[in-house]
This record gives sequence, structure tokens and C-alpha cells, in this order.
Amino acid sequence: MIRVVNLNKSFNGKAVLENISVTFEPGKTNLIIGRSGSGKTVLLKSIVGLLEIDSGEIWYEKSLFNKLDFESKKTIRREMGMLFQGSALFDSLTVEQNVMFPLDMFTDQTKEEKIDRVNFCLNRVDINNSNKLFPAELSGGMKKRVAIARAISLNPKYLFCDEPNSGLDPLTAILIDALIKELTEEYSMTTIVNTHDMNSVMEIGEKIVFISEGIKCWEGNKNDILNSDCGTLNDFVFANSLAKKLRPTNR
Amino acid sequence: MLKFLTPAGQYFLFLKKVISKPEKASIYYTQTMREFVSLGLTSVGIVVIISFFMGAVITLQTAYNTENPIYPKYLIGLGCRDSMILEFSSTIAALILAGKVGSNIASEIGTMRVTEQIDALEIMGINSASYLVLPKIIAVVLFNPVLTLMAIVVGIFGGGIAGTFSGVMTLENFIYGIQYDFIPYYIVYSLIKTVVFAFIITSVSAFQGYYVEGGSLEVGRASTKAVVYSSVLILLFNVILTQLLLK
Repeated sequence: MIRVVNLNKSFNGKAVLENISVTFEPGKTNLIIGRSGSGKTVLLKSIVGLLEIDSGEIWYEKSLFNKLDFESKKTIRREMGMLFQGSALFDSLTVEQNVMFPLDMFTDQTKEEKIDRVNFCLNRVDINNSNKLFPAELSGGMKKRVAIARAISLNPKYLFCDEPNSGLDPLTAILIDALIKELTEEYSMTTIVNTHDMNSVMEIGEKIVFISEGIKCWEGNKNDILNSDCGTLNDFVFANSLAKKLRPTNR
Repeated sequence: MLKFLTPAGQYFLFLKKVISKPEKASIYYTQTMREFVSLGLTSVGIVVIISFFMGAVITLQTAYNTENPIYPKYLIGLGCRDSMILEFSSTIAALILAGKVGSNIASEIGTMRVTEQIDALEIMGINSASYLVLPKIIAVVLFNPVLTLMAIVVGIFGGGIAGTFSGVMTLENFIYGIQYDFIPYYIVYSLIKTVVFAFIITSVSAFQGYYVEGGSLEVGRASTKAVVYSSVLILLFNVILTQLLLK
């Protein structure tokens, strides 16, 4: 479980996140949604410690993550996996080497054991016969899958996904969403997904946090979202013409 | 003043992060071996070509400027030898390597930064600065003295060829000149300079790449800054080291 308490973050005096408090539960796909520039990525990067926060608390189970020293943070970070918006695969390494990288760094497994684990992870994300390819030779969807395989190679407790569907066609996006949900349930991970894709919200949104201009405006799940009283959330959810037609008439 | 001190302070904090205990020594060893090839061995060609022609030009220019019967011909060989050892093999080669190796390091690390590959390393609990930069520093610092020795030999060889074939002196005179009044300490001086310059090139370029913010345009700018700042620092430290070591 990850708990954020009264988190504040600003850049050059401009507040980007204000008093955010939220709990992300294990075994669930937790979504942070909001418009571009609303502060989603800053919140996610603050939670994983890539950005220093101004004030507030970030708890990983019983550890106050933002007050830990560098070495203690490293211990928790080894339990994290992250899927970046642009996949962030290492260009100079093959698919196999990318997935093997965390195993090389943090385990004392033999080469055979590592290759078995790599193949297991790649099979799990439906990537076959591509071990020797370089990231530049993969499609956008394949890159995301390989990045997921790398993220789960060390059996993480926490999985973070920043815009996992950006740049993907709707069908591939749904497949990636389904994969994230399956893995979350399979490994009982605490998964946090940043997205502004309403398809993802309706497919995998077990817990949803809506952020607007750095403020948490709404919290709920995919069943509640269509009936919310939050005006800015409704503007976001019913932004396109098809969604407008589906909008409940009493709103 | 603050504009200068802030990046200077940031540079030293960066160095502190770079020079820390490796997460796994075997991985760092493999990385260092890779860097020996990509930053060291691939520089051999350019250093050999440049040194050969530098040696040739030094010989010809010395010959044309000492066309006087009171100057013995072997002075041309001596001039070529000392110029190559004292200045050209270390400083000029370092300036050229600042262009090749420095821009390579800054653009590689800068691209990793803007494509979030460095963030991916940090998330895994890896000290990204140390993992990416330390092997490069070790490889270049260890390999540049080899390049310098190579530059000295090839430069003197180039001088001998140019001098002999242009007819400005005989090969015997040249060989006598390069053996005349040889001071071995000059080689030590040159190697010390090379090690310092190698450290400057790799650390300054890596620093420029590591803190890139933005996109491809900023990576290009960081690459240019890496070459400019490395070159200026090389020239500055050349003066300081010469004053300190050749007193």
C-alpha cells in the first residue's frame, strides 16, 4: 500500500500540486487521471522519488519514503517497476539484455536462471522470438510490452505506469491495459497508472483519482465516475461528442 | 558570480555522486571494457592521422624558419620531438578528443536523460551517475596516455618522413636530432597532462549531458557546451600544469 499525505510540490514558486492526500491499495489498478498539465506526472514522479517534494508524506507500507536516506530509498526502489511514457528501454541493449538488466544488477542468479526468467517475463507479455532485437527495431506496442517485462522481472511490489497508452492504437492500448490489470492481480502489486485515456478509465479503473490544476478534485471508481457531481470531472469525462451522447440525462 | 558558482557547485556534487561505490563491480568492469572500445580504440585512427600530419608540419615549419648555416640541421628533429612530446601529443590531441569523445558522451547521456532512460535506472535503485559516467572516466583516463604515447611516436615518424622526402634534411640528421639531449621527464609531464585532460573531457561532457532538460535541441546544445567548456578548461589547466611541472 502507498499512502500520500498532504503532498505539496511547486516549481519556481508556482504550486503544481496542493495538499494531495490519497491511498493506493494493493492488488488494485489505481488510476490518476486529469487533463494534460494537471500535475499527474509530477505526482507520480514525486511518489517514486524522482522529484523532491516541498512538504507532505509518502508512505510505502510503514516506511516514510520521502524522509529515508539514499541507501534505504534504494531498498524500496528495488521493489518498484516503472513503465515510462516513451518506454525508456536502453537503446544499446537488446530486448533480452534490457529485461535481464535488473537481474544482472541485483541478483546472483546463473546465466541460465536469468535467461529462463527473461523468457518467462517476455512470454508473459506475449513477446516471442524477439530476444535479439534492439528497441529501435520494435513497434510502439512491443516496446511497451518489453518495458513491462523489464518492470516485472524482479517481482516488484509496486508498479507505476506513466501514460502507458500514449501513441498506441485503441486495440493495442486495450491489450496493454488488460495486461497491466492481469499482472496487478496476479502478483498482488500496488499499481498506479497515470492516464487521460477514458478507455483505460472504463476498462481498468478500480480506483480513480482525478486531479485538476494540481488539486485532487474527486476520488472513486469506474462505476461512480459517470454519475459524479464534480463539474471539472464531468467536463473531462464527457469531453468528446460520443461521450456527450452517453451522458446521463439528469446531469 | 552566482551564475558561475552554481554550476561549479553542481559539478562537484555530480562528481561526488559519480565517484561512489559501484552497485556491482562485475557490471562496472564490463561497462568499462565497453567504453575502452567505444571511446578509446575508436579514437586511435583520428589520433594517428592528426599526429602524423602535425609532426610533418612541425618539421617543415622548423626547417623553413631555421634556414641559416649557423643552426645545425639536427635541430629540426629536436624541435619536432620536443614539440610533439611537450605540447602536441597531449594538448592538441586532447582538444581534438574533446570534440570527438566529449560530444559523443554529452549526446549519449543527454539523449538518455530526455528519453527517461536515466529515470529508469534511478527507479531501479541504481546510482545512474556512477553507472553511466564512472566507467567512461576510468576508460578514457587509462586509455588516453596510450593514445598520447602513440601520438608522440607517430608524430615524430611523420616529421622524419616529411623532412626526408621534402629534402630539407637527411634522415641521419633527423635521427640524431631526436636523440639529442633527450629529457625523459618530458614524457612524464606529457602523460600527467593527458590524464588531467582526459578527466576534464569525460567529467565535463558527462555533466553537460546528465543535466539536460528538454528535447533534441537541448541535447545538441549540451553537446556544443561540452566541447567548448572542455576545450577552455584544457587550455587553462595546460597553463597551470606547465607552470607547476616545468618550473
